[in-house]
Amino acid sequence: MRVIIAEDDAVSRKILETLLRKWGHEVTITEDGEAAWDALREPDAPSLAILDIMMPGIDGLELCRRLRQLPNPIPPYIILLTANHGVREVVKGIEAGANDYLSKPYDRDELRVRLQVGVRIVELQTSLAERVGQLEVALAQVKQLEGILPICSYCKKIRNDLDCWQHVETYVSAHSEAEFSHGICPACFETTVKPQLESLKISQASALEPVN
Amino acid sequence: MLFERTTKIESQETKLLVPVPAGVVGDAVDMELLNAFEELQADDETDLIVELIDLYLTDAPQRMLAIREAALANDWLLLKRAAHNLKGSSANLGIRQVAETCRKLEGTEYEHSTESLADLLRQMDDEFSRASEALLSERQRRLQ
Repeated sequence: MRVIIAEDDAVSRKILETLLRKWGHEVTITEDGEAAWDALREPDAPSLAILDIMMPGIDGLELCRRLRQLPNPIPPYIILLTANHGVREVVKGIEAGANDYLSKPYDRDELRVRLQVGVRIVELQTSLAERVGQLEVALAQVKQLEGILPICSYCKKIRNDLDCWQHVETYVSAHSEAEFSHGICPACFETTVKPQLESLKISQASALEPVN
Repeated sequence: MLFERTTKIESQETKLLVPVPAGVVGDAVDMELLNAFEELQADDETDLIVELIDLYLTDAPQRMLAIREAALANDWLLLKRAAHNLKGSSANLGIRQVAETCRKLEGTEYEHSTESLADLLRQMDDEFSRASEALLSERQRRLQ
């Protein structure tokens, strides 16, 4: 997965980059909050971010707050890294919008598994976003059928958006996922089909009578 | 008090150039921790530990200068930030004594104890000099 690092300390940055590449991630490196802010607003921005809290310019907390205000359908999963310890720092970080928090010096295995959690969350968000997209398309089609449809009182054809009159089944097929299987209901059988059959029988019988 | 501190700080500016006595570099760097980075070494890339040493030896003096300048300017926020950074990179490479002194500089211990700011800066310089020797020696060993 693509991961962005925002870390102003060269040694820490190199270690983090090496670890992430070893674990198979694609890494984008930034040296301060400003550069990370620019990179994370790109259309194809990384989905996972590891941010140092204390950076010149925009710090990690401010970066979290800004990122959470973006109208992003799949917001980045943010892990804050800091040398500060204590509950107050954790609360500040999570309140600013971080998903997780690790104190430096961090345990490599702990970072690896916490990143795995991030990967799972991002994959879940991506999958949900795709489903929402599919539902929105389906909902748009349903809405077309829910609106007022001009229908002929006699032949029951429906007038479409191009001002053409279409059979009900043609119109519904075009505006929904529904398909038709044709049959005859009992009432129509009695009122329409049965008289036609009777009439057919009579005409066949008359045809078979010998001509005098 | 502030003037006294400033005078002491200025007197330490050339401290890095003072040669370190032989035999005191042994505990300056936790070599076990540093060499643990070997497990991250990729086959087709340059020696990671040499690269980390080079980054540290380039970066740390700049941070130390920033700490000293911030102290002279009484800019405590800048001082704490620079100390925080140096603490992080030092701890990462097992340079624990520099990291510990930076921890004290990052906090406010020097404002409340008899250990003055100038003493801490002197300590930082001494510890960094010892660490540099140990790191350069390790670097040389790896490049042989």
